[in-house]
Amino acid sequence: MSLLGIAWRNIRQRLLTSSLTSLSLALGVALVVATLVTGGLVQKAFESGSGLGYNMIVGAKGSPLQLVLNSVYFISKPIENIPWPVYQAFLPASKRSDGVDGRFAASTQAAVPICMGDYFRGFRVVGTNAAMFDRLTSGDGQPFLFMSGGNLQDSEFFDGVLGATVAAQTGLKVGDPFAPTHGADDGKVHDPFTVKGILARTNTPIDRGVFVNMEGFYLQDGHAKPVESVEGDGHATLENAADPAAAAPAARYDHDAHHKPLPEAQREVTAILLATASLPGLPAELTAMGLRTAINEGSDAQAALPIAEIRQLLDLFVRPLELLLLFVTAMVVVVSAIGILVSMVGSSLERSRDVAIMRALGARRFHVLTTVLIEAVLLAVGGGVAGWVLGHLLVGGVGPWITTHAGVSASVFSASPAEALLVPFLIVLAIVAALLPAIAAYRTDVARWLQGPG
Amino acid sequence: MPAPVIELLNVRKSFAMPGGETVNVLDIESFAVAQGEHCALEGQSGSGKSTLLNVISGIMRPDSGKVIIDSMDVARLDEARRDRVRADTLGLVFQQFNLLPGFTALENVLVAMAFGSARPNKARATALLAAVGLADRLHHKPSALSIGQQQRVAVARSLANRPRAILADEPTASIDAMHQQQVIDLLRTTCTEQGVALVVVTHAPEVAGQFPRRVRLEDFNRAAIHPVKEARA
Repeated sequence: MSLLGIAWRNIRQRLLTSSLTSLSLALGVALVVATLVTGGLVQKAFESGSGLGYNMIVGAKGSPLQLVLNSVYFISKPIENIPWPVYQAFLPASKRSDGVDGRFAASTQAAVPICMGDYFRGFRVVGTNAAMFDRLTSGDGQPFLFMSGGNLQDSEFFDGVLGATVAAQTGLKVGDPFAPTHGADDGKVHDPFTVKGILARTNTPIDRGVFVNMEGFYLQDGHAKPVESVEGDGHATLENAADPAAAAPAARYDHDAHHKPLPEAQREVTAILLATASLPGLPAELTAMGLRTAINEGSDAQAALPIAEIRQLLDLFVRPLELLLLFVTAMVVVVSAIGILVSMVGSSLERSRDVAIMRALGARRFHVLTTVLIEAVLLAVGGGVAGWVLGHLLVGGVGPWITTHAGVSASVFSASPAEALLVPFLIVLAIVAALLPAIAAYRTDVARWLQGPG
Repeated sequence: MPAPVIELLNVRKSFAMPGGETVNVLDIESFAVAQGEHCALEGQSGSGKSTLLNVISGIMRPDSGKVIIDSMDVARLDEARRDRVRADTLGLVFQQFNLLPGFTALENVLVAMAFGSARPNKARATALLAAVGLADRLHHKPSALSIGQQQRVAVARSLANRPRAILADEPTASIDAMHQQQVIDLLRTTCTEQGVALVVVTHAPEVAGQFPRRVRLEDFNRAAIHPVKEARA
């Protein structure tokens, strides 16, 4: 019989105590695993917004982080809208009613407008155009794929495209009508749109979005900017707003059969998702930096770099919070490890007699010390593995909720690299916790414990 | 006469008492047990029987003198080597049996093998238990065995590592009269079959009377006759 066998037998002898000790350790480990995995998922959720095919967001002046959170992740509220001419500044002549290249057209590879403010059953409604899915990418640089149906058509004002989560949760199919509400879920119900396409899952915030043709969006009650405000000082900072075509419906917008597009003077956008181009002879980063500076110098809008903002958010807020949470849960594990110590010290009287018997049979002090340590390691490994499984089951249990709310897929198999360190950490912890009872066993007075009467 | 398996020469052992006094427990000029010899050791309570067994088995070290086990003076060995000698050369049987309660009969024998030089041998452990009449109790824990059966497991365990001598400390004191003789017969028969020396410490004259050699501790332990309390220096 090996020392491992003896240790295992000792554990089985005190089955109830051993099980409770391992259980408390398992619960601690489950918490750590759940914290590690969900922490990793939160990070992944944020990082998923960094590969969507644009590198800059232009929006109203204010907090750049709020702009990014709102535009990329559909969380937080929009700051304000920005004037239509700001958007036009990024458009080439072919897409402008005045036939002139916008001021920043040369530095722009793609400019996708988004208009926000409406909701559909708790999901954000985003007014945009076909470029959203034609020009941008689905998180990992891959083009968007449609599970069914297809992209928005500029000529179909009341078409909509649903993210995978929205489609799954609402049960809407291609061809079904849906009516967003204004401002909030209990707001005024707008005219219905028709589902034109349903996107394949991207594991990005796009899955939680309802995308409608912005031409239809503009035609809803309360979405047209009052004309009077345009006639004030104009919006001449980034682009000359005294555009002769500004007040009239633009001839170049495709009409659908029944609706007239909103005049440009009454248009605003919430933000512009921008893929910057590289100017001849200049690295792409420099073009982006120059563009950003130029936009930020103006008074109408700001340009934010989503990756930089998210990195800052992660570094300043998310990671410290994760670390704090991890520290707290690690403390739970340490307390559980102390449970090993308590359990072993508690059984030390019983153990002393067993140790004395083994010593009398020829066991060296080293043997009894090692047996106690092996016993602790077995308890730790047992509790650790059970906790690891439990932690993953926990994540699997809340996985659907995480997938819906964070836009990342979470399942039983979601893992964090730090988990690999858990069991070695537990083993060290168990050995440290068991040192005291192990030394007590080592020092057991054999003669005293074996002495019978006589 | 065959060479002694156990030989004590000028062995002295004393203990410091809480009051600062020193009590001499062993003062033995000479004591030996030959190979295969069966010896009953009698002595009054407090005559140093347990201390003597602890010194012979290497659990305690004498203050002075030689304790030669199988031609090796264990009094000069460090603790780890004394443990090894005890595991390989001596078998111990206790009054309280001292079986490990969480282990089956078979495992109790295998545990003893784990600390010897030879590899644990399940077949031998099974054969030893069969030899003491417990072939059908291999997987029973001590609590599921009768008192007599427990002592038989202890006897089988003492033989696990093919010892040169067995030291039995009042092996029948906790057993009812009916089973006492069975245990003594078992010890003597197995020791005779395997050529193992046997030292049985006993209070019972009817037990001691069955042994070819019967010695009283007071006859060779001077400290047992005149226990001397000395002031500590």
